[in-house]
Amino acid sequence: MMRASYSLMVLPVLIAMTANVPATHAQDRDSNAGFQRAIDSVMPRVVKLYGLGAGKQKGYGTGIIVSDDGDVLTVFSLLIDARHIRAVLADGTIHQAEVIHRDRQRQLALLRLTRPTAPGTSPAPNALDPFPSFDLDRDVNAAVGDWVLAAGNAFKVADGAEPVSIAHGIISTRTRLDARRRLKDFPYRGDVLIFDGITSNPGAPGSAVVNLDGELVGMIGRVVTSNQTYTHLNYALPRDVLDEFYLESLAAEQGEPTPPETTDQSETPLDPGIRLSRVGYQRILPFVERVKFGSPAQRAGVRKDDLILSLNGRNIPDADEYKRRLSYLEPGESIDLVVQRGRAIVSLRIEMDEK
Amino acid sequence: MTHNSPRLFIIGLLAACAMPLASMAEQDHSPDQLLREKQEMFRDVAEKMRPFLVRIDTVGGSQPRGFLSTEDDEESPQQPRSQNPFRETVGSSFTIADGATTGIVYSPDGFIITSSFNFIREPVVISVTLGDDRRLVAKLVARDQVRKIALLKVDADSLAVPEWVDRTSVRIGQSAVALGLGFGGEHPSLSVGIISARNRMHGNAFQTDARLSPANYGGPVCDLHGRVIGIAVPMAQRPGELAGIDMYDSGVGFAVPKDRVDEIVSVLQTGRSFYRGWLGIQINPRARDAVVIGNIADPSPMRAAGVLPGDKVIGAEDREIRHFGHLVQAIYMIPAGEPVYLLLERNERQFGKVVTLARNTELGDLPDLEEPFDPSTPTPQEGEEE
Repeated sequence: MMRASYSLMVLPVLIAMTANVPATHAQDRDSNAGFQRAIDSVMPRVVKLYGLGAGKQKGYGTGIIVSDDGDVLTVFSLLIDARHIRAVLADGTIHQAEVIHRDRQRQLALLRLTRPTAPGTSPAPNALDPFPSFDLDRDVNAAVGDWVLAAGNAFKVADGAEPVSIAHGIISTRTRLDARRRLKDFPYRGDVLIFDGITSNPGAPGSAVVNLDGELVGMIGRVVTSNQTYTHLNYALPRDVLDEFYLESLAAEQGEPTPPETTDQSETPLDPGIRLSRVGYQRILPFVERVKFGSPAQRAGVRKDDLILSLNGRNIPDADEYKRRLSYLEPGESIDLVVQRGRAIVSLRIEMDEK
Repeated sequence: MTHNSPRLFIIGLLAACAMPLASMAEQDHSPDQLLREKQEMFRDVAEKMRPFLVRIDTVGGSQPRGFLSTEDDEESPQQPRSQNPFRETVGSSFTIADGATTGIVYSPDGFIITSSFNFIREPVVISVTLGDDRRLVAKLVARDQVRKIALLKVDADSLAVPEWVDRTSVRIGQSAVALGLGFGGEHPSLSVGIISARNRMHGNAFQTDARLSPANYGGPVCDLHGRVIGIAVPMAQRPGELAGIDMYDSGVGFAVPKDRVDEIVSVLQTGRSFYRGWLGIQINPRARDAVVIGNIADPSPMRAAGVLPGDKVIGAEDREIRHFGHLVQAIYMIPAGEPVYLLLERNERQFGKVVTLARNTELGDLPDLEEPFDPSTPTPQEGEEE
């Protein structure tokens, strides 16, 4: 608490002193001038993408250059199914891009800018220069509360050779994504960064998100609705997830087999040995009707008539949600269950059998 | 959440040492440095407030569909609106999620304050997880459906309570940090902005551009010292339990300040809820440029006040009334049981009346009119009859 009051005291003084700086440095008096370094860093490292669109799926988006020979990360969408994908760089040069790898589970795609520039595109003045790029192979600190800037082509307002738009916000939280897109569960359920600003809009997916130092902290994902709040989420896939995907893509290109997709909802869910009551109208409350003898649930102390409140920290409002949550579990993963037993709330950990 | 406490401390020391000296190191007041210090302040607010935040989980209940079922179900059976023009409808496509929501410790003896928005589903079970991870069953004591506040009670004592800011010391433009636990996890999510306006919603709320949504409704909107400016609630310039939810994350959000919260809680603690207030009148749809009373429910506040069909409403509270929307605007934040001053006109004579608003369940039927309205003429703002 000492620490907090200290810095709070100091800031007004700093502001007051800064205000006395001669007017020739007027822009220095706006603390937002502190975003300049990040803007200079991110602008040349994003591309505007144009490809296939249909109906609500827009044929435009954004990508991030992640290697000096023109590897570009973007989201998995209809856009990349185009016969010709065009990428417009910050200097207005246009390149064709080809799809190198796509990942339905993370909803990511890797493109590569082709060179020399193909017919119908403008030749770059220095076509063999390395592309400005982000190096994914570095650790970047991204803490809750950090300012972030996103650079992308939301609503494709950046016309022709115009540079992309910059939006700002802070990192609200880092959490597991639990979302849906058009009535279907969104396949990616790993970690995301959530922002307070930087609204998710058409064209924004694929935007680069950077911190004050201009380091890449994530990429804006596809427009989704949170299952927890039923609001649109302003979020990005964190840098480590991008790096993981990029390395896998490069390995796949070298002919190495890609790791099997870990989540397949068609698999039979793991069974801790709990049968829920089927009594209810429309919504069936998750009351335990029976606990299988010798099952992991019985060993953990789950009892008949317990009302399941949450599973691994997620609220379980009904029997359907309980089944859905079970289907997300990895084999061998333990289950933290919170149940109501009479007036008491009881926490239980179910250790699942290794399969 | 990662904290760079040592770094901040050093910056603080450096800055403090530099202050007495006329010459300050260039980087100490660079815009960049100011932004970095602000990041630390945001994190400090979250850290300081964390012990006072509670996570609320609910089980059961259902989506409000058609009629808003929150208000008076147990007392009056639902009727089609054609038979009861006073019944409230939802009129929104927003789906109420069942994820965790946020509340704040209000008093050491276990009262928790939050937003009534978090109980629209009418859950069967409510649990509260305190800052020290204790999870307890909570009782919903009462709700204010007008100011969107709810009061919970848990069996606990000696709870730490946050410091609140006095309403009069809050300035437009000062920083605001909203905290919520609606995205799950132990650490609150942060949303920052400024105070956009004071005395909004008839003096019931501050307005902020910090993004407010179901992820932080019921949570605090704080200043940079980690004191509570107000409690985040959805609101709009119209009545209804879901009013304002369509503005989530828009940069137009509302927070109810301490004095109003205290006033509301003093009533909620006795187990009494605040409900939307009704006059019990139907407007004559054929009167275009004036609010002419067409019909009056029996019983109703207006009938009790001796108002007659054909009377014209020309003022309400401190506002001039020229059409129905004005009337709604003038009284939508006044709950049932509270008085409204109306200026009326009959035979070109003006007179004032103090009318105590009623709950819709206290309203009787509309008597048959000798000369019914033409049903083809649309009534103003259907379902919003006051």
